[in-house]
Amino acid sequence: MPRRYPYTIATALFAIGIYFGLVVTVADQYLHADVSLGLPVAARTLISVFSGLIAAVIWLTADDLKSSQRANALILAGVVLMLIGTWFGLFVAPPEQFMGNVQRIMYVHVPTAWNGLLALTVAFACAIFYLFKGDWKWDARMEASIEVGVLLAFLLCCQGAIWAKPTWGVWWDWDPRLTTTAVLLFAFLGILALRKFVDDPVKRAIWSSVATIIAYVDVPIVYFSVRWWNSLHQLQSNPNTVSKPFWIPLRANAFGILFVMVGFIMLRARIAALRLETEMAPPPILSNEIGEQLGEAV
Amino acid sequence: MTTGVVTGGWNFVIAAYSITVAVLAIYGVTLITRLREERLRASENGESR
Repeated sequence: MPRRYPYTIATALFAIGIYFGLVVTVADQYLHADVSLGLPVAARTLISVFSGLIAAVIWLTADDLKSSQRANALILAGVVLMLIGTWFGLFVAPPEQFMGNVQRIMYVHVPTAWNGLLALTVAFACAIFYLFKGDWKWDARMEASIEVGVLLAFLLCCQGAIWAKPTWGVWWDWDPRLTTTAVLLFAFLGILALRKFVDDPVKRAIWSSVATIIAYVDVPIVYFSVRWWNSLHQLQSNPNTVSKPFWIPLRANAFGILFVMVGFIMLRARIAALRLETEMAPPPILSNEIGEQLGEAV
Repeated sequence: MTTGVVTGGWNFVIAAYSITVAVLAIYGVTLITRLREERLRASENGESR
C-alpha cells in the first residue's frame, strides 16, 4: 500500500468528523438548512467523535518519523479551527444563564481535557506496543505523547483554577476530580523525569513503558471521579445538557486542539527518534576504525 | 454572587485564553528549536562517522 493512502483515509475521516460535528451545526444555526442526512444528534455526535479518534490514531501510526510537512499542515489546520472556535466562543455564543461570561472558559477547558486524556491514552497504547514489539518508533511516540499529555494536563489545571475562582470562590480545592488530575500530571511528569535520568536506551524504554501502564490507571479514575464520588466539579456534559449555541465553539476548539496535539506529537516523536539514532550509533572513532578495517578487507 | 449568578468575569476569560495561547505557542516554538538542534547534531554525527 503506498504511504500516502493511510493519510488520505485519515484526512477523509477528519473531514467526516468535522462535517457531522461542526458543519451540520453551523448550517442548522446560521443558514437554517438541514444537511444532517437524516441522522439524529446522538448518531452525528458519535460519528464525529469516532471519526476524529480513528483519524488521529491512523495519522500517528502511519507517521514514518522523518518528514515534518504533514505535522506542520495539521498544526496549521488546528490553529485555523481554534481561531474559529475562539471567535465564536468569545464574540458569538451568548453568556450562560448562571456563570455568565466566565462559562466561555469551557470552550478551551473541556477540549483541553479531552485531548489531554487522549494524548495519555496514546502514550499507554505506545507503551504496550513497545513492550510487545520492541520497535523504537513506539518508544519515541510514547515519549512524545507523554510530554504533550503533560503539557495539556498542566494547561487544564491552569484553566480550571481560573474558572474555579469566580465560580467556586477558590483557585483550587482538593476535590476528587482536581486531586486525581493533579496526581495524573505529577505521575506522568515523573515518567518524563525518569526518562531524563536513565542513560541506557533499553532500560529507559522498558522502565518508562511499565511506569506509563501503571500511571495510566489514573486516567479512567479522573474521568469517572465525578460520578464515583461527591465532587464539586460538574458532571460530563453531552449534547442534551449543552445548549445548541455553545456547540460550535466547543467542537471547533475540540478538533483544533486535536489537530495541534497530533501535530505536536508527530514533531516531538521526530526529536525523540533523532536522539535515539544518535545515542545508538557507534562512537565516531570506533566507526572510523571499522570503516578503515572494512576498506582494508575490501 | 448572592443571586447565584456570576457577573463580569471577562478578566478571567481573557486570562484563560491567553494562558492557553501562550503555553501552546511557546511549546510549538521549543519543538521547532529542539528539532533543528537534533537534526544538526544528527548530521554532524553522520559526517564525523
